[in-house]
Amino acid sequence: MKEILTIIFRLTVSCLLAGLVMGGGYIMTTKAKQHNEHVNEQKVMLSLLGYSKDNPAPSDVELHEIYRYVVTEDEELSVAYLIPIPGGCTFVNIGLDGNFIGQVPVEISAEKVIKAGDRDKAIMAALGEGKAIRFADQTIVVTEEGFRMAYLLPGEFPGFKTFIKVILAVDPAFTLLGLEIMEHEEDPGLGGEIVQDYFKGQFKGKPFATIKTLDVAKLPIPDEYLQALESRKGGISASEVERIQQLYSDKDIYALTGATISSRSVTSGVQAIVKKFAYRVSILDRVLAEQGIEVSF
Amino acid sequence: MATDKSNFQLVVNGILNENPIFRLVLSMCPAVGISTTVMNGFLLGIAVLFVQVFSSVTIAIFKNMIHPRIRIPTYTLTIATWVTIIDMVLAAYLPEAYARMGIFVKLIVAFAIITMRLEMFACKESVTSSFWDGVGMGLGFMAGMMALGFVRELLGLGTVLGYDVLGFKPLLFFVLPFAGFFCVGLMMAFFNYIEIVYKRAKAIQG
Repeated sequence: MKEILTIIFRLTVSCLLAGLVMGGGYIMTTKAKQHNEHVNEQKVMLSLLGYSKDNPAPSDVELHEIYRYVVTEDEELSVAYLIPIPGGCTFVNIGLDGNFIGQVPVEISAEKVIKAGDRDKAIMAALGEGKAIRFADQTIVVTEEGFRMAYLLPGEFPGFKTFIKVILAVDPAFTLLGLEIMEHEEDPGLGGEIVQDYFKGQFKGKPFATIKTLDVAKLPIPDEYLQALESRKGGISASEVERIQQLYSDKDIYALTGATISSRSVTSGVQAIVKKFAYRVSILDRVLAEQGIEVSF
Repeated sequence: MATDKSNFQLVVNGILNENPIFRLVLSMCPAVGISTTVMNGFLLGIAVLFVQVFSSVTIAIFKNMIHPRIRIPTYTLTIATWVTIIDMVLAAYLPEAYARMGIFVKLIVAFAIITMRLEMFACKESVTSSFWDGVGMGLGFMAGMMALGFVRELLGLGTVLGYDVLGFKPLLFFVLPFAGFFCVGLMMAFFNYIEIVYKRAKAIQG
């Protein structure tokens, strides 16, 4: 009896010690880790827009982040957007019927707005008592010389095993410019192939009309299309790639061999993100125009 | 019971006499699964080296406080803690290395070689000896993995460290998991043969 108590005591102490060490490590590294993730995300976003190290984004290309929140007040739900305006941020509240409810200026610096905790606190301080907010998603509006050139849509949807995190790029007419898989746990060799160019490249250049009815085709990818999708490997000219991409732009997504579920979830996930975004941004733009709110994008 | 080996002998012992892969035949899952290229072997080797050294030293420091009936859970806890810390530090300060090594680091918690060295060595010996034993075992594991990776990469893909040296792929069979067993077996036989020849030569001289 005494022995079992010592064992329990010692194991508990070891676990506590291990927990302390790991917790300390987490506290010390979490800031740098978040910074790395942010830098990586920025890099992916620029690469989706076609910029890279050799071809850097011109200085008049700007990224404006919009954060969407769900606001609860007296059990009534409404949608709100934290929008950058010249010289600060504003929190625009829109009812579920699409009508403007109100807006409050939010005082927050550009460095703090990217941190979820600081952002939520600043919004709560601006809103005052009696309202609860929940972060929903974010959108990045890309402008060039003040005109919108693209939207970047980070999002996630269920895959075969767990959530798949992606970033989409669409142009102002909601034609897909590109898809990047940020995080997934699909089976290596099967669903894991969603990260390959020959799969995610198929989404590139799909117009909005096609996206609305996009489905998965269980057919082998035609040879010329496969060659165009894997153009990074060389052996095919850029103009030829464009011609073939154009040819297949209204076709369905060719499923991955042995991974129909993963193919379907990515396809329907992308479809849902783009459709919902197109609906939301039309309401937001209408409200901003009606209320004469001047925004930075 | 203290070891009578010098620090240098401990390191050499880990690489040659008690090589984790070819002599102790431990941690065969990673040896067979991951040693498809020299680079993979090297990266996993580095990760094992760090976890082995840190865990060995930790256990050697606390060896008198560990209750004998819960040694194995304590070892696992120690290894898991170090793996987590190394994983977090890599992710935070060396993101580029982490992108390539991250997947290997998390695997190490379940490696037999580390638990075995804690049980056989670190829990009886001094901190310094345990440190050098950890270095030896880590280097031995790395050397074994790289040797396996070299053979499998060359014969399977015709490359070394990603550079095309043969210009064709001799036997793709070698990069598949089950070929790992053949490779380990054949190389073990080869090293045993060298040892026998060496001992015989020594006996004749003596």
